[in-house]
Amino acid sequence: MDKEYIKISELNNYIKSILDKDTFLNKVYLKGEISNFKSHTRGHLYFTLKDDTSRISAVMFYSSAVKLTFTPEDGMNVLVTGRISAYPAQGSYQIYVEAMEPDGLGALYIEYEKLKKKLAAQGLFAPEHKVPIPRFPERIGVITAPTGAAVRDIMSTIKRRYPMTEAILFPCLVQGKDAAPDIVRQIKRADAYGVDTIIVGRGGGSIEDLWAFNEEIVAQAIYECKTPIISAVGHEIDWTIADFVADLRAPTPTGAAEMAVPTVLDIKTLIDNYKIRLNKNIKNMVNTKFIKLRSLRQSFILKNPMSMYEVKEQKLDSLIDTLNKDIKNIINDKDNSLNKIKLSVVLQNPENLIKDKKIKFDLLVNTLKLVNPLGILDKGYSLVEVDNKIIKSSKDVNVSDILSIRLHEGSIKAEVKEVK
Amino acid sequence: MEEKTFESALQELETIVKELESGNVDLDKAINKYTEAMKLAKFCSEKLSDATAKVNKILTEDNELKEFNAE
Repeated sequence: MDKEYIKISELNNYIKSILDKDTFLNKVYLKGEISNFKSHTRGHLYFTLKDDTSRISAVMFYSSAVKLTFTPEDGMNVLVTGRISAYPAQGSYQIYVEAMEPDGLGALYIEYEKLKKKLAAQGLFAPEHKVPIPRFPERIGVITAPTGAAVRDIMSTIKRRYPMTEAILFPCLVQGKDAAPDIVRQIKRADAYGVDTIIVGRGGGSIEDLWAFNEEIVAQAIYECKTPIISAVGHEIDWTIADFVADLRAPTPTGAAEMAVPTVLDIKTLIDNYKIRLNKNIKNMVNTKFIKLRSLRQSFILKNPMSMYEVKEQKLDSLIDTLNKDIKNIINDKDNSLNKIKLSVVLQNPENLIKDKKIKFDLLVNTLKLVNPLGILDKGYSLVEVDNKIIKSSKDVNVSDILSIRLHEGSIKAEVKEVK
Repeated sequence: MEEKTFESALQELETIVKELESGNVDLDKAINKYTEAMKLAKFCSEKLSDATAKVNKILTEDNELKEFNAE
């Protein structure tokens, strides 16, 4: 028998043609987990779909990939629609994925993320929208299932901490498809009823169990509710959409009750603390004023009013001192001048002055001698006078006048006998 | 004292304490405020001890408020 060798490509193409002809393989619905996920730069997605025992290569072309409503990633469970064909170049068969959606929890998770993003964009989580929780509520609305741990924890915690608050249960479904509308209904009811605070929540459970609190209608109801809302869904680690919208998020139902009411002891301590602060404050205030008053009273001026004059007195003293000094200075000056005069040469040597004067005097005497009218008498001239008048002419005398004739030595009285 | 809620009294008390601690109050006024604050503290304490424990309730579908006991 002749052996007819064929090319690999011929074989692979043959296999491919068989696969392509099979109607079942032309539309396959497959369920599996994504692994080895690669997103090609041109937009085609390549990955492996696997379950516990088997795997199959998968390709999703750009034309289909653009229709995806989520971002696939490794470990994600997906529901896939596609056809099976071969890739001749590799000698492998694979599924050409036409549509893909998240499966189960994965789907819920995607939905959760999508809604969270959407509501965040709408501003439902905005901090400025959040209302503070009243510190001392008189009435609290509790929205949860009427049975189970959650309602018990919330009610008993409120009662234990702050018994004067009236806790009113608004019972509702907390899981299943009817839960969300029921929660919405009770939120509206509690809001309208008139309570100070609302606690909405439930105990722990799976993500499906808690799902009602991830529904958009619940989020909207919480957002629109005028009464402050504390959310308490599941455990610490569970964050539902309701938690993001609520005014305050409690980690557990018990936690919600603790956030909703103070303890009586807390308030007593608070009041005591206020009293202590008040007393301390007023004491301080009075003390401060008292110290100020005392220091004012003891101020130097008030204690020694006369001291106000001291300054003036001192000034006066200094003025008097200055005055005295000035006078002394003047006297001193005069004294000095006097001394200088006293010490002057003339006064020190008065005989000099006399000598001078004597010389001058002698000179004058001599001069006088020369002009003395009596001087000429000793030369034989006489001086004739009548009634103390010197006679210079015969007309000045009459007969019988008594003449006084002064000689050099002595004088004579004579009678006029004749006038010529 | 006029009818006050516990919360408003406590709030007022807190306001006065803070006001006095700010130090912006005259002594005369401060003493008045102090007296008032002490009255408020007394009022709050009394209200706290006088308060009777409320019973937990459930609002039924018929809008009836019934006693509620979580088992």
